[in-house]
Amino acid sequence: MLKTLLVLPLLGAALLWLLPSRSADVQRHLASLAAAGTMFCSWWLAASFDASSPDVQFFETRPWNPRLGSSLALGLDGISLAMVVLATILCFVAIVSSTTVRDTTRNGARLYFSLILVLETALLVVFAARDWSLFYVCWELTLIPLFFLIDRLGGANRHRAALNFVLYTLGGSVFMLIALLLLYDAAPEHSFAMVDMAAGSAGLPVRTQVLVFLGLLIGFGVKMPIVPLHGWLPLAHVEAPSPISILLSGILLKMGAYGLIRAVWTLPAAALALQDWLAALALLSLVYGAVLAWRQTDLKAMIAYSSISHMGVVLLGIAALNPAGLNGAATQMVAHGFAAGLLFLLVGLLYERTHSRNLGDYGALRRSAPRFAVWIVFALLASVGLPGSAGFIAELHVLIGAYARWGGWLVLLSLAVLISAAYALRAIRCLSTGPERAFGTAAPGVAAFADLSRLEVAAAALLAGGSVLIGVYPPPLLRLLGASVAKLARQFAG
Amino acid sequence: MNAGEFLPAACAALAATSQAVWLVPLLPLLAAGAIGCRMLLRPQGDAAEPATASLASGSALAALVALIVFDLAAIGGCAPQHVLAGDWLRIGPVPVRLSFLLDAYSLPAATLVTLISTLTLRFSATYLHREAGFHRFHCGLALFLAGMLLIALAGNAVLTFVGWEIAGFSSWLLIGYAWQRPVATGNALLVFLTNRVGDAGFLLAIGLAVWSVGTLEWAWLDGDGTMATVTARLLAVGFVVAALVKSAQVPFTPWIARALEGPTPSSAVFYGSLMVHAGVFLLCRMQELLVQVPDLLALIAIAGLLSALYGTLCALVQSDVKSALVFSTVAQVGLMFLLCGLGQFALAAGWSAAHAGWRAYQFLLAPAFMHLVPHPAPPVPGWLAGRMWLYTATLQRFWIEALAHSLLTRPTLALGRDVRAFDERFIDPLVGAPRVDDHSPSGAADDLIRGHGLAGSALFAFANRLQRWESRLLMSGEDSALVRQLQRIVHYADTVETLLEQPRYLMLMVMATFVVIL
Repeated sequence: MLKTLLVLPLLGAALLWLLPSRSADVQRHLASLAAAGTMFCSWWLAASFDASSPDVQFFETRPWNPRLGSSLALGLDGISLAMVVLATILCFVAIVSSTTVRDTTRNGARLYFSLILVLETALLVVFAARDWSLFYVCWELTLIPLFFLIDRLGGANRHRAALNFVLYTLGGSVFMLIALLLLYDAAPEHSFAMVDMAAGSAGLPVRTQVLVFLGLLIGFGVKMPIVPLHGWLPLAHVEAPSPISILLSGILLKMGAYGLIRAVWTLPAAALALQDWLAALALLSLVYGAVLAWRQTDLKAMIAYSSISHMGVVLLGIAALNPAGLNGAATQMVAHGFAAGLLFLLVGLLYERTHSRNLGDYGALRRSAPRFAVWIVFALLASVGLPGSAGFIAELHVLIGAYARWGGWLVLLSLAVLISAAYALRAIRCLSTGPERAFGTAAPGVAAFADLSRLEVAAAALLAGGSVLIGVYPPPLLRLLGASVAKLARQFAG
Repeated sequence: MNAGEFLPAACAALAATSQAVWLVPLLPLLAAGAIGCRMLLRPQGDAAEPATASLASGSALAALVALIVFDLAAIGGCAPQHVLAGDWLRIGPVPVRLSFLLDAYSLPAATLVTLISTLTLRFSATYLHREAGFHRFHCGLALFLAGMLLIALAGNAVLTFVGWEIAGFSSWLLIGYAWQRPVATGNALLVFLTNRVGDAGFLLAIGLAVWSVGTLEWAWLDGDGTMATVTARLLAVGFVVAALVKSAQVPFTPWIARALEGPTPSSAVFYGSLMVHAGVFLLCRMQELLVQVPDLLALIAIAGLLSALYGTLCALVQSDVKSALVFSTVAQVGLMFLLCGLGQFALAAGWSAAHAGWRAYQFLLAPAFMHLVPHPAPPVPGWLAGRMWLYTATLQRFWIEALAHSLLTRPTLALGRDVRAFDERFIDPLVGAPRVDDHSPSGAADDLIRGHGLAGSALFAFANRLQRWESRLLMSGEDSALVRQLQRIVHYADTVETLLEQPRYLMLMVMATFVVIL
């Protein structure tokens, strides 16, 4: 079943090129069908997953390059299954909401949809890989579709954004590769399988482990992003076409956090040694992202910086290294996937209609586009983490998990949450309330624009429903994560 | 069946029904959700109003009936004090349960909250007739009722916090009721943010409670007597800050005057009678913990006393009914805090109940004051009119008032004016409250994001500096800082390279290598 899940998007991409029709709508429908099939497939996997066992399930492996010791090993535990489900939902929403993609160039739409589907497969393999070489290859593979998607279809500065994105990520993954090779060298059986490498790392002295961990941290930290390494993110998020922004912030950032959790699992001694530094970085990211989000007038830039802040919560939870913190980190990954995805979806749809992302151009959406207003208010409040949204559950877990070790330092977390409330509510105020303003400066003639259509409301409701469901009734998600997280945390209990 | 058998059977039945206490906050929440769904269908006209109104007040009435049943059970002594409706989630070692307390504090508070909300909902069905935001208002009020009931009945800190947030959120919704006016939405923003400060204290206290006490249930939060005073003090400080903010005590008072932008019925239940007492209720709830830290109690007493003075002084110079009422509310709540600080928790709770009822009535009456007060004076009776000196003295009320005026009221008024001026000149700019006369053009980008107040402008300056640093992180064209740095490094590397290519340096390198090896 896992293989079906991974192959379905590729199959969809292949079908797109065989399809005789050149209409962008037909192609979108076919691509959505493939993405929907993948989504249901992942739900089916989640239903047949045994949450009480911490073991890797649906495991299958076959040698890839026996001389190197790499293998095509796939399998899911609780954390990766949660990420897989999130990824399939977000990909589906991104494809469904790509209504403005047209055949401006030859095969433009076809290329666009097939790139997204290829990206989906690469993403899913990253989460399902049980072998570091497969993980690394697919990690790099995600860059190729993303580069073209941003570079071809992005905004005014798209070339710069795409180049920055690829260079930063490649630069980070060089360190990751070196670290992985060091580990490979240490592994007794010279194999890239995650289990073997974790076993091999136990024999290394702590100093070497810390160095290896730092290499991995740079690789994952660029993607996540952790503050000094985040330079690519705001530009890429702002310039990418909106459906790609959904994927970027919704799921691509989670790849970094997921990789970091795997790194912690592989090198527990190093994680323990660097615990305080990780927390310091997390608190820095939290406040830095929140302050800069508050500083922006561009809606998409605001959401991009708020992503940095929210991923700081994830890093803080990972740094806590106890079940509460790790559970919170994984929950926050899901919560932020839904909240940021929803925000980018709505802002993207708004931008398509008005061609302005400037907060100051908007006003009184409540009157001109009430459905937009309601959903945007909902999305912004969910991103603040009010009770009833998934963010609240996640922040509560992280707060309690991190309190055990850092106590009063968590005032910084509270400060960041306070600032995030400030910018979210200010955005609500600028967008939905106040006197009506004309869009005269941005694009004449679009002062009156269409409200959300039924399909778009359905896409938004899918994401919002996920967030509220976890916020009100979190036990299913926590049970799914529980066993794997407990197994991970047991390494640090002694 | 005789009385001897009937009573225990009835008691058991009542005890069984009180297991369903979770329904009480859920009903208004569902009503709010239902009204929200109706709003998505854009109801229009008079015909749509009764359904919304009866949804809201019907849920409130049902909650009231249920609560009265529980009250009866509690009076009969057959209701359990602690009701467990299930597990919600587990954070690390500590489970967060859906637990509810049915004790002498929670049941009267919940009943009173529901009673006043029911009456207010009935009142607003006519008061807000044909208003554009009729449905929105009812949605907000039902949400508020759910939040308050959760605060009153919750058995643990996390559930209370959820209610605390819901109440704050609905207050934000209703202050911004007239969302077309920038002042209203600005005030809503300020109020919500001030409340978030208290929420931060609440959350940190929850975090501390998990690790120091190992439980989040109110019933066991005071520990087993072995808790260190430092821990108890830290734990209590978080909750006390939350209580001070929610009840608008000094130094957090200014928000409450800003919160009156909403429709009068919402002001009545939020700031007049119910939400403002949530702080007092929280203090009563954690009295076992508070009595372990006497210095904090003294601080609460001082804050209460200061608020009472502040509220009284400010109330004297208000020119409109609602502001005068709200400041006197602050004064009364300050006295309740004083009582809590002195350890008289039961008295404070009783006072808050009485005050809530009276103040709700006053606030609901406020719009009609102008019609009610200027009644024609009754004619002077003859025996008094005949005696000129007595009449004059009576007319002047024996000059007591004038005396009081010059000796007490005038200085007090002046002081009140000064306090008010202080409020407007210093406190408001410091906290960045929006002003009526402050309508800056919102065209320029910087104006849009500029922070107000001390904290706001400090944040703005800090953010500007970060933004400049941020723009250096980007690689772009030939001129960006990062690229220039890279080019400089490349240049150095080139120089070293050309030097190394010259034979003498190469020989030197080789020799140096040999030296190192040998």
